[in-house]
Amino acid sequence: MQQILYLMWKEFKQVFRTREMLSIIFVAPMIQMLVLGFAISTEVKNVSLIITDFDRSSTSREILRAFEHTDRFRIVGYESSYRGIDNAIHRWHAQMAIVIPPNFGRDLQRGLQPEVLLIVDGLDGNTAGVALGYATGILRQFGQMVLRQRMLARPDAAIPVHQVVAEDRMWYNLDLQPEQYMIPGIVVLLITIISMLLSAMSMVREKEIGTMEQLMVTPLKRYQIILGKILPFLILAFVELGIVLVVAQFIFSIRIVGSYALLAGLAFLYLFATLGLGIFISTITQTQQQAMFVSWFFLIFMILMSGFFIPIENMPPLLQKITYINPMRYFMYIMREIFQKGSTFPFLLKDLVPMTVFGLLIFTFSVLKFQKRLA
Amino acid sequence: MNISVQTRNLTRRFGRFTAVDRVTLDVYEGEIFGFLGANGAGKTTLIRMLTGLLKPTEGEAQVAGFDVWGQSEAIKRRIGYMSQRFSLYEDLTAEENLTFYGGIYGLRRDQIEQRKAILFEHVGLQPFAGQMTRDLPLGFKQRLALACALLHDPPIVFLDEPTSGVDPKARRSFWNLIYQTAQLGKTLFVTTHFMDEAEYCHRVGIMHMGRMIAVGPPGQLKRQYDKSTMQEVFIALHQSSEEAA
Repeated sequence: MQQILYLMWKEFKQVFRTREMLSIIFVAPMIQMLVLGFAISTEVKNVSLIITDFDRSSTSREILRAFEHTDRFRIVGYESSYRGIDNAIHRWHAQMAIVIPPNFGRDLQRGLQPEVLLIVDGLDGNTAGVALGYATGILRQFGQMVLRQRMLARPDAAIPVHQVVAEDRMWYNLDLQPEQYMIPGIVVLLITIISMLLSAMSMVREKEIGTMEQLMVTPLKRYQIILGKILPFLILAFVELGIVLVVAQFIFSIRIVGSYALLAGLAFLYLFATLGLGIFISTITQTQQQAMFVSWFFLIFMILMSGFFIPIENMPPLLQKITYINPMRYFMYIMREIFQKGSTFPFLLKDLVPMTVFGLLIFTFSVLKFQKRLA
Repeated sequence: MNISVQTRNLTRRFGRFTAVDRVTLDVYEGEIFGFLGANGAGKTTLIRMLTGLLKPTEGEAQVAGFDVWGQSEAIKRRIGYMSQRFSLYEDLTAEENLTFYGGIYGLRRDQIEQRKAILFEHVGLQPFAGQMTRDLPLGFKQRLALACALLHDPPIVFLDEPTSGVDPKARRSFWNLIYQTAQLGKTLFVTTHFMDEAEYCHRVGIMHMGRMIAVGPPGQLKRQYDKSTMQEVFIALHQSSEEAA
């Protein structure tokens, strides 16, 4: 026990004396949180729109007014030819164009079914899909309005039309704020980085300067070296967790709905996986540079396969299966559940159990791989 | 005389390369045993086997009466080790380095304080106790590393090229320190590739390509090969073993 305390004492001394370490631990996360929190937005707003109105009737103007009155779209110009539209989209000037054909208003009055053409830049598939959704929504509303007007104007000829009206209620994230969803994910990223990257770097650093060899010729037991090296980073990960929760609350006004104690307990279980990976990386690398490189390799895989940016449900089935071996996937779910839904223990078991099992497996494997010998 | 370190046909191979080839050696208690050889002769590999950092491929070895095969943890409590790179924490002060090593060897706090005082005196670093290790001159780092290796008062100390990279004056005073340490009754096992340092040892072993090609007191080796310095002995031995190979 004494030995472990001395190792931790030394580790903290080193961390707090290294200015770069301090900034990695305390300043970088704040900046990351602020930048990622404000920048990562899945919300689609201000889609730049080109208008091509071949009809120029009161009806077509009414449609266009509907597009003007929403902040989803921003009208950036008027074109009178397809070539002009092509050019504008090609130059990134516009993302979408709406083309109202000649005689649109007249055909509508006659009860025909005229068509409006929507051209979308499909490069960014996600934004394109969402923008298309908004546009069709606006057009549908317009259509319903025309229908109602016609029925009111000629009550005698009215054909009874049944309309299904969808009323929506958002649960958990009432205003559909993207931060609500992203911030818990960012918290997961930050504590993963600090626990995995820093523990790996600190162990490899001792290899690099030769002190690891020195520790190996002391009577220290293997578990003492490992605990002495990783407990400081476990503690720092919790400090970090505290900081980012405060930032989330005061800057993004995001309060955890669920229990803080539960969150802390589950974070502890998750850290077995990340600290275990940190040890593992330190056993397969010789220099801090290599450790950094390998850590980022793991991190990028873990982040992409965690559902942080890309919903797991949208992945091909094979990739979906692969995400089951990613401990971050489970913790990502757990964090979002506790943060937003306030889920309690029983609801979290389905993610908690595999996360803990993987965490302990990784940890045990890495500890066994760490040898008190050079070769 | 009691034997501190004993090896019998100790061998270590890395793949097809034999770094240490059937080395048989006795080192006695209280001796300064110099261990000579060019870079890559196998000195560091042999030391690493004796300190438990590497498992031998074949052969026997006992350190302080314990077997390297099964009792390496018992050995680790009884040896001090100073590696080529003076493995110190550069971002701790000289005193903190000592405190740290005292702590991990399981010394009590009052023992640590007591040993620190003795060792600072012994290596002459008292005025620099509070200095950051990275700011110490290389010669002082080397003394500090020795102090760290002696902190738990081990009977046997392994010094792997302790004077590499240090200026001649600092080397000289470090050897005085080695003498003083031997006078405390400790066995010192010192590797070096400086032949003038060989003259300071009680006995030397000369290694070439993994083999121990000569062992004996420097005076005796010089007479045996009819040379006036260890440098010449070393070169003569080198040439004859090169011709044999």
